[in-house]
Amino acid sequence: MCKKTLAIAACLLFLAPLGFVQEAVPQELETFGVYIEKGSRENHYIPAGWMGDYGDIRMDDQSSDNPYVGRTCIKFDYSARKSQGQGWSGVYWQYPANNWGNLRGGYDLTGMTKLSFWARGAKGGEIIEKFGVGGIGIGRDVPYPDSSVTEAGPIELTDAWKQYTINLAGKDLTYLNGGFFWTLSADSNPEGATFYLDNIQFVADPKMKPEVKKGESMPFYVYSERGAISNHFIPSGWMPASASQDLKFDAGWKTNPYLGDTCIRITYNDNSGTRWAGIYWQHPANNWGTQDTGFDLSAAKKLTFWARGEKGKERIEEFKAGGIMGRFSDSDSASIGPVILNKEWTQYTIDLSGKDMSYIIGGFAWATNIDVNPGPDGIVFYLDEIRYE
Amino acid sequence: MKKTITLVIIASLLLSMGMAQRPRPKVDIRSYPESRYQLFVRNKPYVIRGVCYNPVPIGKNHEYDLFSDPNKPWLIDGKLMQEMGINTVRFYQVGENPEQVRQVIRDLYELYGIRSILGHWLGFWDFPCPRYGDADYRNKLKQEVLEMVRLYKDEEGLLMWVLGNENNYAFSGRVNPWSTDEIETEPCPVKQREMRAQLYYSLVNEIAQEIKQIDSDHPVALGNGELHGLETADALCPDIDIVGVVIYRGKTFGNLFNAMKMTFDRPILFIEFGADAYDAYRKREDQNMQAYFLEHQWRQIQRNLYAHKDGAGNCLGGTMFEWTDEWWKHQPYAPDSWREHLTGAGWSNPSYYFDAPAENNLNMNEEWFGIVAISPELEDGINKRAPRKAYYVLRQLWQEPESNELIIKGLQWH
Repeated sequence: MCKKTLAIAACLLFLAPLGFVQEAVPQELETFGVYIEKGSRENHYIPAGWMGDYGDIRMDDQSSDNPYVGRTCIKFDYSARKSQGQGWSGVYWQYPANNWGNLRGGYDLTGMTKLSFWARGAKGGEIIEKFGVGGIGIGRDVPYPDSSVTEAGPIELTDAWKQYTINLAGKDLTYLNGGFFWTLSADSNPEGATFYLDNIQFVADPKMKPEVKKGESMPFYVYSERGAISNHFIPSGWMPASASQDLKFDAGWKTNPYLGDTCIRITYNDNSGTRWAGIYWQHPANNWGTQDTGFDLSAAKKLTFWARGEKGKERIEEFKAGGIMGRFSDSDSASIGPVILNKEWTQYTIDLSGKDMSYIIGGFAWATNIDVNPGPDGIVFYLDEIRYE
Repeated sequence: MKKTITLVIIASLLLSMGMAQRPRPKVDIRSYPESRYQLFVRNKPYVIRGVCYNPVPIGKNHEYDLFSDPNKPWLIDGKLMQEMGINTVRFYQVGENPEQVRQVIRDLYELYGIRSILGHWLGFWDFPCPRYGDADYRNKLKQEVLEMVRLYKDEEGLLMWVLGNENNYAFSGRVNPWSTDEIETEPCPVKQREMRAQLYYSLVNEIAQEIKQIDSDHPVALGNGELHGLETADALCPDIDIVGVVIYRGKTFGNLFNAMKMTFDRPILFIEFGADAYDAYRKREDQNMQAYFLEHQWRQIQRNLYAHKDGAGNCLGGTMFEWTDEWWKHQPYAPDSWREHLTGAGWSNPSYYFDAPAENNLNMNEEWFGIVAISPELEDGINKRAPRKAYYVLRQLWQEPESNELIIKGLQWH
């Protein structure tokens, strides 16, 4: 050991108790764990909030099947059996467990700027509709709603571990009871899915900057094919509340689609007696203007779609783009109708010239009523290739 | 002297060319590049800070005739309005006695500086339906309107005429449905709607055209529900000066200002907009909620006035809905209920999101739209007035129009 080295070592020994040494080495970023390892003290949230078809989910939170780091990771098996008839499933990491906003729990994570996690699919190609942070209780009458929601997706997993981050810079993280969540759908994963998650944590990375919303490029699909990753809106807005009695919806109808393997088949009958029904395609599901998640579709000049009636002459009162009104309202709306459908596939266009499509939650909608579609059998009609251009 | 002679010569020349013959109308709209508009009254810019005025007393219904009310409620209301900063009232339709109507217009103007917008329903609520395809019916409506114009056009307190109120909602054939033999034989519903629109808007323009032959001093507005049908009006209504729109979109008017430029390029007047003061979800009066929406709506109106260079510049102002609550509206066919302030909601509008989670999403309480509440207690013979929070918030906003700081803050939303 040379004299100079000894001198430095002596200095370090002297300075260490005063806390100076830490500044000389790269500082580790501050983190806050959601799931690090089975039984870890750094796990702050519990994967207790099972949603949708919860009977379709199996979870192993100490899977030793090739974890990304450490001894364990979390394995999810999704069967797509639609046990509760929802067609989708999801899991929230909550604190405390099963807290949907009624209890004061959660954490103030101000200062964190991203959520980082690792994920892989058992086969690759599994489609996760959303990964996200927060959102519990927002838009509902609960005393302790999360202060914000941030989402990413859809994401197609690979069969090798891959790191994903959700940008939280600029978000209000003062109260997060929902630390992390994922959702997926049977449409996107008709054969089910097995996937793994590991090392889920918040990170205070000073390099993260608030995300600037970018305009979407065209074409931008509402529906192209069942379960396609390019489908950007969910047909979740069934209207009115009784619509589940009146509508049958199949996004994977395989007989005579206009393009590709599938189209949408809709059956409408006035079983409920409410005399009208319709569906909004929303982003994300069930967003009636309660979540700030609109797409910037300013580049769109028109919305086109293909439609046909089972018999011909089925009447749809209105086809619509945009128009959801709420705390976060669509920036504009445009519509056509009434439309009398042909028996053959016909393309329809909603002209968007002069419209402000810079913020769209409701990507597409239709509505009709029984008064203009008389008859005991109701109507059956088909839709395909719904897209902004 | 030489200078004077020159001026006289120039003046004579102008007169001989007809350039100085016609004075400006008392009320006129000036157009500027990029479809920007400004309203002038007696050559001074005028922003319409108005309110729909239909102060039906407790226990009465829509048949109440304000103009013949011996208690003269407009004297109490006018003072309150003046203190708030209101400069315009909108009457949906005037009473039958011209002297009484004139007196109300004059009192409001002379005592409080408040101008009147006079409207006509154009038969929208006629039983069994308006018959816009029938020549005799069209002529009857036209004569009614022209008679109104003849009677009141010289009133100094008059601001403008409004033709109709949401009559375009009948084009679909579902609201106050009307038809003609020709429409009935048309199989395409889109064409049917267009045929109704053409018949209606052509009538509106005929009336507007004839109004101008009688009265060149006041603009004529079309009273439309939302922007529906205005593409047709654009082709058929060259004599309409202003589009009066009825809009209930919550706290934002969205792209309305620019959309108007694309569809029917006329100045916009919000002839109805607002919010109710009853929270249908929590089942209690909520004055903050009403004030919150009205503040946001008025701020958007202000941003799109001509004087605000960053906005669309095609808005003239608005007449909010409405001055006082109307206790008859939720059950209009049950006279006993007109003495109760009912809390039932008649329709749903999620844009008013605070109480949208109410049962069946019914959150619009028709009896609670007043910015002034009324009570059964009488004062000077009329139901006692109690201004709501929105009254004070708008008063403050109008006093400090340049302030960007929200007056209603921190309203909790579920």
